Amino acid sequence: MTERILHTGNDTVARAAISAGCKYYFAYPITPQSEIAHYMARELPKIGGCFLQSEGEYAAAYMLLGAALSGERVMTSTSSPGLALMQEPLSMMVTAEIPAVVVETQRLGPGTGTGGQQGQTDYRFVTRGVYGGLHYPVLAPYSVSEIFEFVQLAFHIADKYRILTMVLTDFVLGRMTEYLELKTFDFGPLPEKDWALKGKAHKGGRSNFLFTVTGMMLDITGFFQGQQEKSKRIIDSETRWETYKTEDADLLIVSYGYSARMSKGAVNTARAQGIKAGLFRPITLWPFPREALQQEALKAGKVLVVEDSPGELVEDVELAVQGRVPVHFLGIQARHIARAEGLILPERILQEVRELL
Amino acid sequence: MPKKGEIIIDERLCKGCALCVMFCSKKCISMGKIGPGGIPIAHFSDPEACTGCGVCGWMCPDMAIEVYEYVARRPL
Amino acid sequence: MIEETAITKNLVCKTPAFRLLPLGFCAGCHYGIIFRLIDEVLEEMELKGITVCIGGGGCSAMGAMAMDVDAFGGPHGPGTAIASALKRVCPDNFIFAIQGDGEQGAIGLGSFVAAAVRGENITIITMNNACYGMTGGQLAPTTPLGMVTPTTPEGRDQEMAGFPFHGPELVAPLRGVAYAARGTVHTPANRQRSKKMVKTAFQKQLQRLGFAVVEFICACPTNWRLSPVDCARYIEEKMIPEFPLGEFKNVEKNEG
Repeated sequence: MTERILHTGNDTVARAAISAGCKYYFAYPITPQSEIAHYMARELPKIGGCFLQSEGEYAAAYMLLGAALSGERVMTSTSSPGLALMQEPLSMMVTAEIPAVVVETQRLGPGTGTGGQQGQTDYRFVTRGVYGGLHYPVLAPYSVSEIFEFVQLAFHIADKYRILTMVLTDFVLGRMTEYLELKTFDFGPLPEKDWALKGKAHKGGRSNFLFTVTGMMLDITGFFQGQQEKSKRIIDSETRWETYKTEDADLLIVSYGYSARMSKGAVNTARAQGIKAGLFRPITLWPFPREALQQEALKAGKVLVVEDSPGELVEDVELAVQGRVPVHFLGIQARHIARAEGLILPERILQEVRELL
Repeated sequence: MPKKGEIIIDERLCKGCALCVMFCSKKCISMGKIGPGGIPIAHFSDPEACTGCGVCGWMCPDMAIEVYEYVARRPL
Repeated sequence: MIEETAITKNLVCKTPAFRLLPLGFCAGCHYGIIFRLIDEVLEEMELKGITVCIGGGGCSAMGAMAMDVDAFGGPHGPGTAIASALKRVCPDNFIFAIQGDGEQGAIGLGSFVAAAVRGENITIITMNNACYGMTGGQLAPTTPLGMVTPTTPEGRDQEMAGFPFHGPELVAPLRGVAYAARGTVHTPANRQRSKKMVKTAFQKQLQRLGFAVVEFICACPTNWRLSPVDCARYIEEKMIPEFPLGEFKNVEKNEG
């Protein structure tokens, strides 16, 4: 009988990391996710780990890089403005294939002072990868249980493919409290980290060099070839999504994160009223489940994208659907009030569903 | 007079910076020989004067110089 | 009886086993002298098996690439942040970072000072050639007044760019700093003195006394537009008066 506790999303991020064997965490305070740092500051010393508060997000991500050179599991977390600052170090990690986990608790952006505001306005920012044309996997949980699983899965994916992996939560997910079953996960075998820098005595006197210059300037085409093959392996094996009541749906709602929770509520109410709505929830935002979405969309014949944004997920949905079915959009204008506490509520989604069917 | 020192300059590594010429207190090295890269490189022009002190070797930015000393030992 | 004199030929100085030779630096650049010196200290202190070297973003990355130790290079500026974290994760490894004066004094200044504030047990080697070498010799925090660079075509002017930056002196007063010094390699005597500074700095890490930084004034013939021989004179006449040599702080034991 696994233990069941009441936990917030942010605390769950930290707890999951520790469960995955991560003992090193570097971060800078930023709302709405500083609680992750608070948890790590309390718990890591107890297990001989280290939490280092950095001098800024740019430094936090470079500390992440430095710590990751050792081959240990390491993590940082931030919110939208901080992620903008982290772009250079994260890109270095992607190009030099140094694995780590970054958790982004997105908030309404851009700007300062939006820490207390929900939003899903980083979708495009995180799914297009780093500058320089390279992607990194992005997992989007929608519950505390999924946060617990996906943070651990992120470490596994990072180590399996030697790639930076992101878990995308948000203000609502970070602060909400749900029951969490403390399950253990076994995601499978992992390769040896023979690239890690631990001193050449560790490798029988053979020194190693990791360089952040794309393709070492010697074999650029070969480097990108390798990266594309890696992307393909990740796309083939790690693309994840969930379908809910889509078998006979006349309308397919596409949504992720907290909007998907709201949409699920709307689907349940709709079904109770005899309306055949269904939900398609991408779990990996990159790789985006294009083929699966297209199949479901063709089956339903009509798509409604729900996201708390001026229009980002909807672009990927339109790409996936290739114009073969109409794609409707319910975005940030659908919030129930214009002030900071505004959210897209199930009632509003249901209203839209009714109007479309 | 017996030899006291000897240097070997690696022509593939020498970039012709002439710092060894400046540092050598005995003036055994000079520039003037054209190296494999087509530029003037260092040349062990006065072997008789070399004492094998090693300064040229330690100061060469390209580590192109090997230095030897000859030590005379009288058996007991 | 004829006394025979046996003559033995001893190797005094040989090319070290670097990973990459020839080095990629310009002719007469002092980086080669300095990296060789560092390599000697690592050998003498038997640290190479546990060393990880963090190269910077610029000419300093090439040194990290060349030495036969585990190494990483090189983003521009955050070397102290990277080294700090790696040392926290692997406290029994020997971690040192090489930074240019430009990246340390400008974009990386926050990390440089923060690591000194935290008293990180790392060693920083600063390569001060008074400009951004790799990118063409632009104004750097350390550029002396009056020096002509592509971004100060009339010479560095204090109105626009203030006065030269002194890294070791800036952090020396901080309690977390155990050692701060500056040396050169433009003469054999200075090379020997600087080698001792590097050794002392490395010892501070082994003794866990705190942050250590050694700055080298380096000739940059390409961007100073001087021959390597004239660079030595420039260091003597222009650089050393602005950037005094010596130790600014040397802590023998832990401050309470």
